[in-house]
Amino acid sequence: MDIKAYIALSLTLFTTGIIGVLVRRNAIIVFMCVELMLNAVNLLLVAFSKMHAVSPAAKASLTYASDAQIFVFFIMIVAAAEVSVGLAIIVMMYRNTHSIDVNFLNRLKN
Amino acid sequence: MNNVLHIVWLIPILPLIGFLINGLFRNSLSKSVAGFVGSAVILASFALSIFAFLQVKSGNTHLAHYFNLINIDALRIGFDFKIDQLSSLFLLIITGVGFLIHVYSTSYMHEEPSKDFAKYFAYLNLFVFSMLLLVMGGNYIIMFIGWEGVGLCSYLLIGFWFKNNDYTNAAKKAFIMNRIGDLGFLLAVFWLISKIGTVSYDEVFSATSLAKLSTTDITGITLLFFVGATGKSAQIPLYTWLPDAMAGPTPVSALIHAATMVTAGIYMIARSSILYSMAPVTQCVVAIVGLSTAILAATIALKQNDIKKVLAYSTVSQLGYMFLGLGVGAYTGAVFHVMTHAFFKALLFLGAGSVIHAMGGEQDMRNMGGLKKHMRITHLTFLLGCIAIAGIPPFSGFFSKDEILAAAFEASPVFWVIGVAGAMMTAFYMFRLYGMTFLGKFRGTHEQEHHLHESPAAITFPLIVLAILAVFGGFVGIPEVFVHGGHKLAEFLAPVFAQTNAYVSSHHAHEALSHNTEYILMGTSVLLALVALSYAINKFSKYQKTETASTGLAKVLENKWYVDELYDAVIVKPLRSLSAFFNNVIEKKGIDGLVNGVGKAVNYGGRQLRWIQSGQVGAYVLLMVIGMLVLFIIQFFVKNI
Amino acid sequence: MNAIIFSAIWGVLMMFTGAFVQSKTLPKYLAITGAALLFLLNGIELYNGTPIFNINGMNMLAITSMNLTFLEVIFAATLLFFMLSGRDVERVGEHVSEYFALIFFVLCGVSLSSTYNTLLLLFLGIEIMSIPLYVLTGADKRNLKSNEASLKYFLMGAFSTGILLMGIAFIYGGNTNASFYIDQIHLGVGKMPVMITVGVVLLIIALSFKVSAAPFHFWTPDVYDGAPTVFTSFMSTIVKAAGFFAFIRLFKTSFGPVQGQWQNLIVFITVATMLIGNVTAVFQQSVKRMLAYSSIAQAGFMLLALFALNQTADDGIILYSAAYSLATIGIFAILIKMNDYTIEGFNGLAKQQPLLGLVATICLLSLTGIPLTAGFTSKFFMLTAAVENGHKFWVVIVAVIFAAISAYYYFRVIQAIYFKEPSSAEPVIDAERVSGSFKILLAITAILILILGIYPEILIGWAHH
Repeated sequence: MDIKAYIALSLTLFTTGIIGVLVRRNAIIVFMCVELMLNAVNLLLVAFSKMHAVSPAAKASLTYASDAQIFVFFIMIVAAAEVSVGLAIIVMMYRNTHSIDVNFLNRLKN
Repeated sequence: MNNVLHIVWLIPILPLIGFLINGLFRNSLSKSVAGFVGSAVILASFALSIFAFLQVKSGNTHLAHYFNLINIDALRIGFDFKIDQLSSLFLLIITGVGFLIHVYSTSYMHEEPSKDFAKYFAYLNLFVFSMLLLVMGGNYIIMFIGWEGVGLCSYLLIGFWFKNNDYTNAAKKAFIMNRIGDLGFLLAVFWLISKIGTVSYDEVFSATSLAKLSTTDITGITLLFFVGATGKSAQIPLYTWLPDAMAGPTPVSALIHAATMVTAGIYMIARSSILYSMAPVTQCVVAIVGLSTAILAATIALKQNDIKKVLAYSTVSQLGYMFLGLGVGAYTGAVFHVMTHAFFKALLFLGAGSVIHAMGGEQDMRNMGGLKKHMRITHLTFLLGCIAIAGIPPFSGFFSKDEILAAAFEASPVFWVIGVAGAMMTAFYMFRLYGMTFLGKFRGTHEQEHHLHESPAAITFPLIVLAILAVFGGFVGIPEVFVHGGHKLAEFLAPVFAQTNAYVSSHHAHEALSHNTEYILMGTSVLLALVALSYAINKFSKYQKTETASTGLAKVLENKWYVDELYDAVIVKPLRSLSAFFNNVIEKKGIDGLVNGVGKAVNYGGRQLRWIQSGQVGAYVLLMVIGMLVLFIIQFFVKNI
Repeated sequence: MNAIIFSAIWGVLMMFTGAFVQSKTLPKYLAITGAALLFLLNGIELYNGTPIFNINGMNMLAITSMNLTFLEVIFAATLLFFMLSGRDVERVGEHVSEYFALIFFVLCGVSLSSTYNTLLLLFLGIEIMSIPLYVLTGADKRNLKSNEASLKYFLMGAFSTGILLMGIAFIYGGNTNASFYIDQIHLGVGKMPVMITVGVVLLIIALSFKVSAAPFHFWTPDVYDGAPTVFTSFMSTIVKAAGFFAFIRLFKTSFGPVQGQWQNLIVFITVATMLIGNVTAVFQQSVKRMLAYSSIAQAGFMLLALFALNQTADDGIILYSAAYSLATIGIFAILIKMNDYTIEGFNGLAKQQPLLGLVATICLLSLTGIPLTAGFTSKFFMLTAAVENGHKFWVVIVAVIFAAISAYYYFRVIQAIYFKEPSSAEPVIDAERVSGSFKILLAITAILILILGIYPEILIGWAHH
């Protein structure tokens, strides 16, 4: 399949994520949308890795082609770390305010 | 005493020490100590100057390099002293006359509070220090330091009685006019540096350096230097400060505004004589300016009634003669006239001071008269000074003035005719002054008459010494026509002007005046002076106060040709309105408006931009996404910001 | 290399300390020791050229004297920060050693992001730097402001991570070398391939977010304001400088040759940052928030290095990091002790605490960029670099104008310190919070600022070592 299709799919996912961050107010949903963005990147990286592996120009440096796939694992790990910290922050906020609305706390402004 | 030239730095240092002592301890020093310190350091300088002069006379000139003042790249400006014939002669004049005037001041200023008394001597010592720097410097920068220093001291001393508003205005006027001249000096120095990269006399006047200068360069540099000289030496158009400078104490007028500082311009041009000889255009300008100043000031002096004003215009006039001498190439004559003028003008000023002292501060000659009986020494010495300045042989003024006039005749008979006319006027106004002051009947109040007395010894002693010098000082320069080899001064100064003279004689065929011509010239000028003199004595010995206002030319002369008014109308008033315009429109509306406008814009912007920071994550992310879109648009659709 | 490994180890050590040691003051001393050791070890590596801990990094790290010099500055600033404000870390909450441990993890991230040679390590470095900061921002658990700041920072930080990764993915996709190594990105001839261009724009956005450049700065004032003040001090200096260094290194190494193709973006960001930072700072009443905006404004100046991208800019960014960190740590150290964070709170400081008033003034003067202070020399380097760049001279003029505007809000504080009477009877600073050693350290900070202001070659010499 053409690489453009993967790019299109990935960008769609990514944009969905951005729009989700923009419109949703529930902190957990917002957070899930961020995860969606990261997964769009994962998909794209794997697709690019495959693309480079088969492209004749990159044959010489084929060793690097699989780097992207390893990169994906790093993204997953970092995302997991982020989730743990993020959920902790959300829980902390819920304890203090009994709300997980991102716009609920609005003392810092101007 | 061969090593005296190695300690020449002591000559200026001593007055500096005097300045520091009197300046720092002015609150605790008693009058006698302050006066003693002030005079003693000058006396010591004078003694050293005599030794230095003797050394130079026996043929040892000296160039002392102490340290580098400025050392950048190829430009090297040293703190150098150059002791040669010219500077050693000036040293003698400055310290010698300076010492006499210090002595005179101890008595003249005695009524000042002791704090001011010490301050006065501190300024006076500082002045001598600066003046010594000016003449001893081995390059134009040291000269400039001294040049500025004397300007400062002149300002301080003119405004010494600073509580009087007119006096401080006079001080400011002197300072500002000097500054205008100083700018010319400075520009000339910059021009020199940019063209030949050095300011030391020896290097500038060397053949290699001179070869680097085009005619335009030399003309420009010399003209700019001359602008400096017109400021310091009170020539047209910058002369009006000097009469006003009479606001200062009389000894100051004698020292600074007659004998020494105002001759700095002459010294500088004499020092740069080779440059001037190479610039005929400048020489012509110098001669014409000098002559015009001489005649203009002389006409003004005819109708002045303030005793010091007459002397002040006389000084301007005599300085004009010196510049005439410089302009026609009679450098020796000009320096000679500086010397004799220092003697008789200092004498006249000090004599006038003595008169003013006796009159209890009165300066208007219309209220004097008949002082002959009351002040014998002052009268006699003053008369000798008058004869000397009038150019009656064998008094000193005759020799020096005659030398200049003879040289002027060589250059152009017209110069000579005008010069002699000026000399006639000199004789006239001096004897008008003499007649109004010392002859006839006393016209002042009874109280003043009761008060009249001869001044104390501290005042008369300098008068006597100066009178002797004024009478006999001319014998160092007896013209060739009288005694062969009689011009000792020319002989002495010959090494200084050797290069110039060599240049001049190689470029212009020079034919000395025949003895007969010279006799005729001298005879004519002396005769005319005598006529003017006797007419003046005749007319003013029986002077009576009249209340009628003068009319016509007399009124114009009384008002000094309205030059001050002219300057006021042409320069001061337009400048005032221009600055008012700058203040009201450009500064207040323009710049203030701009600055305040920026401030207001920042304030307004700050208030508006604050609301972007709404505190809502959603809004932030939205703005960030908009920012991303903007960046993408810039990247793909905007060529250049 | 020393720094990366040692900071991670020391961080873990600090965590264990928290579990097994009850003492409340011990962690501070341990942390100071750790920072000093980091400074020392990194210094040895800088001096000798060989690390003590050595691991085959597969060429993924670029250990150069320039990078190590920058780290040296960072560790020195951290050491100073620990010594000046260590006691205030203890006051934030109960888990003192955890806070220090997290700071060491941040330092590990800083070390990574200063020496990375691949996009992978850039990403890891930035994340390792950011995640502990989310926690530190929310360290004051009961404080709603702290909660809010933490949540905002986290959400927006995660969002920007997504952008960063998308940028990396596009760069990788467009790179025919199929490599993440930043020195092996094939840019083609003439215009960059579209995918790389998109990647570059996304990277600029993500990294601008990290260094709080407009229009991606929105998190900065809120987070800096809401976080416990000690951590604001740390975040706004050390972490921010590291972000800049990473930013500049990436764009210099990978995209330097085609600078003309993305310089427009930098110009836009620089000018917008200066405008927003300086203009908004004018209106702040709280000094803490004013410093947050001023840090945006200073970021605008540091962006000039990215605009210029030459040798002077490299020297300049190190100098600027040092100058800015010193001054900000100094002023924050004093601010933390204040009872009132508004400008009125500084009224009469000089009368009650002359030394503190003086040091605060020197710090503020340095931030303004007054000659004889480090702030002046660093701003001077930046402007020189921008002029040397030769393009778009108007940016330099704009920078100078905004530097002049910045004097307005800094001088308001100086005015309060020296020329105003205290607004209330109670002291501006509780005297028991100001110890003798604190004063000495503050004096040292001020002296360092002056030394760097007069003789900046000390620091620059190292970078060329």
